[in-house]
Amino acid sequence: MPRDVSPENKKAPRRHSPLATSQSRREFVRRSGVAATLAAAQGLAPIIFAGCTSGVPAKGQPIKIGLLHSQTGTMAISETSLRDVELFAIEQINSAGGLLGRQIEASAPDPRSRDDLFPKRARELLSGGAAAIFGCWTSTSRKAVIPVVEEFNRLLFYSVQYEGNETSKNVVYGGLVPNQQVLPSIDWLVSAAGGLRKKVFLLGSDYIFPRTANFIAKKYLETKGLKPAGEIYLPLGHREFGPAMQAILASSADCVLSTVNGNSNVGLFAGMASAKIDPDRVPVLSTSIAEDELRNLLPEQVQGHFAASCYFQSLPQEANRQWIEHFRKEFGYDRVTGDPMEPDWCLLHLWKKAVEKAGSLETDAVRAAMLEGLSFAGPGGLVTLDPKTQHTTKYFRLGRIRKDRQFDVVYESPTPIDPDPYPQIAFPGWKCDWTDGGLTRGPEVTIDGDV
Amino acid sequence: MFYSVYELPTHIFAILMIAFFVGFYWIGALLLRPILRQFVKHTKGANDVVGYVLSCFCVFYGLLLGLIAVSAYQNASETGTNVTREAAALSALYEDVSRYPDPYGQNLQWLLRDYTRYVIKYAWPLQRQGITPVEGTIRAQAFQEKLLDFTPQTRVEEILHAEALRQFNSFLEYRRMRLFSVSTCIPSVMWYVVILGAVINIAMVWLFDMKFLTHMALGGLLSAYLGTMIFLIAAMDNPFRGEVSVSSQPFEALYKHMVEE
Repeated sequence: MPRDVSPENKKAPRRHSPLATSQSRREFVRRSGVAATLAAAQGLAPIIFAGCTSGVPAKGQPIKIGLLHSQTGTMAISETSLRDVELFAIEQINSAGGLLGRQIEASAPDPRSRDDLFPKRARELLSGGAAAIFGCWTSTSRKAVIPVVEEFNRLLFYSVQYEGNETSKNVVYGGLVPNQQVLPSIDWLVSAAGGLRKKVFLLGSDYIFPRTANFIAKKYLETKGLKPAGEIYLPLGHREFGPAMQAILASSADCVLSTVNGNSNVGLFAGMASAKIDPDRVPVLSTSIAEDELRNLLPEQVQGHFAASCYFQSLPQEANRQWIEHFRKEFGYDRVTGDPMEPDWCLLHLWKKAVEKAGSLETDAVRAAMLEGLSFAGPGGLVTLDPKTQHTTKYFRLGRIRKDRQFDVVYESPTPIDPDPYPQIAFPGWKCDWTDGGLTRGPEVTIDGDV
Repeated sequence: MFYSVYELPTHIFAILMIAFFVGFYWIGALLLRPILRQFVKHTKGANDVVGYVLSCFCVFYGLLLGLIAVSAYQNASETGTNVTREAAALSALYEDVSRYPDPYGQNLQWLLRDYTRYVIKYAWPLQRQGITPVEGTIRAQAFQEKLLDFTPQTRVEEILHAEALRQFNSFLEYRRMRLFSVSTCIPSVMWYVVILGAVINIAMVWLFDMKFLTHMALGGLLSAYLGTMIFLIAAMDNPFRGEVSVSSQPFEALYKHMVEE
């Protein structure tokens, strides 16, 4: 209520004012002003100067990494699972406190199964500060990305089995190379356990990996006094395998070594079934089929055929069972694991170990830590990074396809096989040793076809 | 800087806002009031005049605050509804594609699960920072690509496929609305008017001639309520920021159903 300010009351004492007794109003105003200003400053300073994070210490910027996998297009069917397993690993690392006390932040653009987009996306990731890239599936995409990672001096972690005959100090290879997959497969086929087969038909998709892998396979067969019963390449994504089946039947082949990739496997096994080729008589031993690919194949068409790999979901190890259980809990009860998901998981953890050992994200420091040798106990067994080649040691495993789209492991190498990206039977004089100068070149080797 | 208030718990945000306005009033009452009083000091019935002007001003200002508060509430509410509709469309689509023959059905379900997981784990934290997530688009495209890859073989499959496509379009519509809502907020110019109005309101109260403690108490109360109103608008503005925001709960419930099936 307004105070009465009529002249009669102007000089009346302010009976109820507490200011009248001890201090003047001016003094009270001055002191109160100072106190209020200080109180306001103390209360608001954290908001103004620290963005409302008062009392919370800064944890540092997250570590950025790139996940470069096709999520649309013909390769999406295979590559999406790699992205998932990488995200799964990153989430686990982050929930355990992160790396070097920082959270890992993944960016996963879509190169859309187009080789021209892979280097573009890689460049965007690295320009955006990605410390490393985990990615690629096909060799053409990998070869397109390598110049970019070399230009930025960052690391590409590649987890898919490939043809070898390549080395880069900026690439860490986690998948099988031919001496860990193709050559043991041939050894098994020609052994008593494999049926003493002598007529191996080479069937592949028409790109770098099948051409080079078969080139090495032919050289290896030669050392055993054998020649391939036939050799056919079909475009990636091709599904009409009728003529190829006729060629296989005409050649009297007793087994098919398949380097067919992606969706073409649907056509391959449909063709085998149409041609009534019995898997017991002429089995297909595939280098590029895992549990994920089997989901798209009809069980009655693939049952009894074989796949060569370093990992199968059906491996009985406790570590594997736990890994699958955690993965399924996170991504769904019906998800499957396979090669190269397991190598991918191992690679990401090997990178983590290397960064922790180096105490830095700098590529040279991480490489130096890797060159000292690193191991990781993965779901499929112990994986060791070979400092000489920047590849990993791998178990070779052979699985027979079951009706439930899983594998019965019919053979497993007694110990992990050391990687050799340049098998001397195919690349005489070539050698890779990053502990001793890197690549030693031998005579030029010409591989048939457009590689 | 101002967005960082959304990182605070709601009650702290409210207390800070009220404290700011009350503090502003008190400091002004102590430091500026003696100066401002000079303007009306010699006016007969000054309190009445100030009272009339303040009443008139409060009508306009109250209307403005009320309309903005309603608008912010409606915006938050609509965003919440769209999020629920997107999750519902996703759920219906998940059920539709489960009827597809394998491997199409399984692949499509995996892709929807992947999308839902991304929304919960990655998109929502970004939205809470006011960043529009982009990688969900890739996942939606991957699903669309696989959906269009399917060629119905029977009449039943044709009907199912048509329904799935219709549901997918609804889902895309709601998804797009959610993404638009990420950056939806009250325009800066409106905030300037609100703040200016609050300052004028407080300044008018400083003009009253009252006992000092009465001034502090009544003015403090008025300022506290002004702070509360502005806190309310700020809390409801930016529908994905702060504790009073649209949650990912519909997606979480859906994902739980998807992975536990």
